[in-house]
Amino acid sequence: MTQQLTASAEPEDRQRDLARAVKRRKYNRREALAGYAFIAPWAIGFLIFSLGTMIYSLVISFTNYNLATNTAAPVGFANYRGLAQDPLVRQSLENTLFYAVLAVPLEIIFALFLAMLLARVRRGSGVFRTLYYLPKMTPTVATASIFLLLLNGNTGAINRALRAIGISGPQWLIDPNWVKPSIVLMTLWGVSGTMVIFLAALKNVPRDLYEVASIDGAGPVRQFFSITVPMISGAIFFNVIVLTIAAFQVFDQVYLLFWRDNSNASPDSALFYAVYLFEQAFREFNFGFAAAMAWILFLMLLVLTLIQVKVGNRFVYYEGDRS
Amino acid sequence: MNRWHAVVVATSVGALLAATAACSSSGSGSGNSSSAAKNTNFSAKPSGTLNSWSFDNADDVGKARMGYADAQLKKSGVTVKYDQTSFDAQKFTTRLASGDVPDVVQMDAQDVITYAAQGLIMPLNKCYSQNNVDPSTLFYPAVTGDVTWKNQIWAVPQFYQPSAILVDENVLQAAGLTNADIDTSNMPRLLAAIKKMYKSSGGNPSTLGFDPQATGNVYLWLLGLGGQVTDKNGAPALDSAANEAALSALKQITDAQGGYAKLKSFTDTFDFFGAKNQFVKNQVGAEVDAQWYPNVLSPYTKQIKIQTVPFKNKSGQPVTVSDDTAFVIPTKSKNPVAACQWALAVDSMGSWKAAEAARNATLAKTGSPNTGLFTGEPAVDKILRADSKPSGNADFDQAVQGFYDIVGDGIALPASPAGQEIQTDLQNAFTSVLTGQSSPKDALAKAQSDAMRAYQNVTK
Repeated sequence: MTQQLTASAEPEDRQRDLARAVKRRKYNRREALAGYAFIAPWAIGFLIFSLGTMIYSLVISFTNYNLATNTAAPVGFANYRGLAQDPLVRQSLENTLFYAVLAVPLEIIFALFLAMLLARVRRGSGVFRTLYYLPKMTPTVATASIFLLLLNGNTGAINRALRAIGISGPQWLIDPNWVKPSIVLMTLWGVSGTMVIFLAALKNVPRDLYEVASIDGAGPVRQFFSITVPMISGAIFFNVIVLTIAAFQVFDQVYLLFWRDNSNASPDSALFYAVYLFEQAFREFNFGFAAAMAWILFLMLLVLTLIQVKVGNRFVYYEGDRS
Repeated sequence: MNRWHAVVVATSVGALLAATAACSSSGSGSGNSSSAAKNTNFSAKPSGTLNSWSFDNADDVGKARMGYADAQLKKSGVTVKYDQTSFDAQKFTTRLASGDVPDVVQMDAQDVITYAAQGLIMPLNKCYSQNNVDPSTLFYPAVTGDVTWKNQIWAVPQFYQPSAILVDENVLQAAGLTNADIDTSNMPRLLAAIKKMYKSSGGNPSTLGFDPQATGNVYLWLLGLGGQVTDKNGAPALDSAANEAALSALKQITDAQGGYAKLKSFTDTFDFFGAKNQFVKNQVGAEVDAQWYPNVLSPYTKQIKIQTVPFKNKSGQPVTVSDDTAFVIPTKSKNPVAACQWALAVDSMGSWKAAEAARNATLAKTGSPNTGLFTGEPAVDKILRADSKPSGNADFDQAVQGFYDIVGDGIALPASPAGQEIQTDLQNAFTSVLTGQSSPKDALAKAQSDAMRAYQNVTK
């Protein structure tokens, strides 16, 4: 009897599993199509406007390109060998790396802090969000003008504030040791884009998780590390990748603060990779070398992002995950 | 590899090969800049549309000159279109590469040779000669020197606004000093004067003795004190003993006033273009400035007491340099004839007279004194100066006259294919020395090495 029952139940289970699998596949396909539809505008734009340019720049990187005659004499790997031999490439890379290591964690922490503050605001939250987002809308040139005053070593507001608590502030813009921190400060000013992503992620964390944790006696710090951070880990991961790429490409803040008239700190300390690339292309007309620089930067960022993805996948919680 | 991957790889490789083929087949190009100029008859009757980029026509002088030149070309039926955005190196190269080439471009005179060496602009000897203009008599020698390279003149220069030292007589007299104490040919005397005028408060400067405007005037400080920037071929020659001495003198000047960092941070707070500028507030005893700065100060003549003293070389002779602008014609200009004739018209006596009339009309409205138009052309300068009336403020009139006294003493800027990079490397060296990071010898050696690498890049 039991055997008969088992035998008749097996095909039913198998049919049910099959039906579920078909449903899941359909669902997955629908979800995938929606995903493709969402990225289609970017993908089409990339194919039309960027891919050709990228391929052309790759070609240029193996040539000595002459703008006047629009000719490109092949030079093999000479530009790439030149990169390895140019001390300023190494210096610019070191400066950029130092900045990235300093800036990215601080941007994440500061943006998350602001987002958590805004998430708690009930009355007038729209006004506060707008105010906090305004720096992102301000042109970099205007921001740089303000920071030139804020960071003034004698009378700037930052040093005045430090003086009020008994700290003698540095010559931010002139002392080579403070060049990168001053750029980081200016970068932090525009952190509101990252903040908005965190704010959206924080709004998606279920409230009942906090209520349960609170009943179990978890304090705010424990709740932050055990609930908030894991639940927004996807947003953290995304922001780390985006900010790392942006940090390696930093240009306008550096150029405006230090390369505008070369009167501040010795520009060796402010020679960033993107600045040197710009100098090579548009001041020295060394387009092949500049293209090689761009491709090396692209490859570095690609490897770095792949590592981040590999490492990040161990820690990131995706709400939509199905095993 | 599945079928889809194979298609993607094949397409990419195909595109790469196509791009390579396109790249190498484009070699026949448009020829070099000299042949473009040789094939042009610059005295022919101009026609069509002229696309001008970056001409600074925002003020009364610019508008009047533009109106005059437009009227001249309109007689031949030429329509002039202006792109008033500022010159930008990246935009210029992008426009050249894309074929969207302007016919005439205004740029810094100092950058002209860089573009000439790349073959991106054409020599204008024929433009001058076929229109019966002799640049050697039209302009001051330093003005033509700025845009001359390999015995060819590459631009139609405009303006020559020499640098000199503006002195705040209030600060000077309070320290018991006279103009004679502000003497760059006598460094001990100058340093003593600086120390007498310098005041600090809370460790920061409150009155400077002398603002040398070092990084903004690297050529004045080096060339003025007997140094050298390039050799006769335009290759950098920065690591000389004379340059070291000039840089050392500059370091002494900044060190006598709290050091470069304090000095620079203080001057950054000056209301340079405003009503509370450093001369109104007596924040500086003396300062290196170009000729246009008295014009900025002209509304405040009742609140300030300034005069001009020349920058002197080691022999005590007045010297000056000026970083002005010029019109160039890109090699691929579609209308070089109209471009040439427009540039010459903008720089003609008629154009400057129109500018003078417009400036006088503006001054009549504001009541400000006339600080002069420094055109880069001695004959025009003489006529315009004779037409202008003194303001009645003896000190301010002396300040204006001081620039007229030195306008003929200019030294040409170094004409080098790597001019932009040489200037940047020199500025780096200056900052490095003044902030105490390097000795003058080490900083100039590094600048020489960096500039030489750039020179070799642009001339290879």
